[in-house]
Amino acid sequence: MSVPLLGLDPTGSGRTEHRLEAAIGRFLTIGTYATIAVLGLGVLSMLVVGRSPLDAALPLDLARLPSDLAALRPEGLLWLGLLLVMATPSLRVVVALVGFARGGERRMALVAVGVLLVIVAGVVLARITDV
Amino acid sequence: MIGGGLVAGVFGSLLGLGGGLLIVPLLAFVFQLSLLKAIGVSLVCVIVTSGAAAGVYLERRVANLRLGMTLELFSAAGALIGGLIAFALDERVIAALFAVLLVYTAVSMARRRPPEPDLASAPSETATAAGDTWTSSVQGEDYEVRALGRGSLASVGAGVVSALLGVGGGIVKVPVMHLVMGVPLRVATATSNLMIGVTASAGAIIYLLRGEIEPLVAGPTALGVFAGATLGSRTAHRIDVRILRALFVIVLIYTAIQMIRRAVGAP
Repeated sequence: MSVPLLGLDPTGSGRTEHRLEAAIGRFLTIGTYATIAVLGLGVLSMLVVGRSPLDAALPLDLARLPSDLAALRPEGLLWLGLLLVMATPSLRVVVALVGFARGGERRMALVAVGVLLVIVAGVVLARITDV
Repeated sequence: MIGGGLVAGVFGSLLGLGGGLLIVPLLAFVFQLSLLKAIGVSLVCVIVTSGAAAGVYLERRVANLRLGMTLELFSAAGALIGGLIAFALDERVIAALFAVLLVYTAVSMARRRPPEPDLASAPSETATAAGDTWTSSVQGEDYEVRALGRGSLASVGAGVVSALLGVGGGIVKVPVMHLVMGVPLRVATATSNLMIGVTASAGAIIYLLRGEIEPLVAGPTALGVFAGATLGSRTAHRIDVRILRALFVIVLIYTAIQMIRRAVGAP
């Protein structure tokens, strides 16, 4: 038995189509406001500790991120916010992929997989061409 | 920086432009960031502002999800190419290209006329009968999508422009969807907004991994742009944008001149 995800119903294609759009819309809205909240906390912590936007910032280091977040350092909160900003559209594609797969829309599911592969290719190419 | 982002967000929202066109010059000229860093931050702002709008458009069923996802496959590929090209080019070349974009936008805005009758066409029997083609997957409920191949090709171009110059690429996508593919203008605008997130994030990831996104700059600017865009969308119906548009054309021309000066290495 399939379990509804974000309100997605695998039965009844017409209604499911609309529910999928509504579910993705909700996901995008919630995701955007969540990222804004994290970025807002980051900016607030910048003000509290007196950091200027033009100061040199620590580069992104995923290993250090948890400790920066625990200490409420501006860079930790801001990097988390920026990662969420960049991940939200890709996660939206994942939600669509699940919805299309459940609704039996193989063609659109393939498109969603293709979009995700392009994003992964971007990560790989950015790494291997950075010399 | 928050204030600058706020102004860019309000102007962008009132005039139907993404914030990128203003954020890049703002960060490059006022805050003296390199063009690549300004473009990286601008892409972040573009993702944030398009996200909330795209969510609302989807919930109201204005955006065509299937068309948007099909085209964003190509615009994301274009963004990947554009992002890699940006790092291979001299900043002066990017400044020259940005100047061209600014002049093009200024001319388009100056020549803007009242909207023409909608060019959307009703679904035809041939489209409905072509049940097994890609095009049939992306049809609207009350309009027929055509020329998917040309739209896909244009989407690659929009992606390149987006990642190379730090803009959303709607300036390419909306006219192509409306004029070439027969999508109603309102749907084209909403669908373009939906595509911007994935397109800009495909480009932004390259800037992030190359160390060209400054968190202390990106955070305040993105907050300002988001607040400005929200404010702009809520006050748009109360403001006569004709004067604003004329003023904006002057700002764009002035900014284009500054970009050209940077391109030729003027002090």
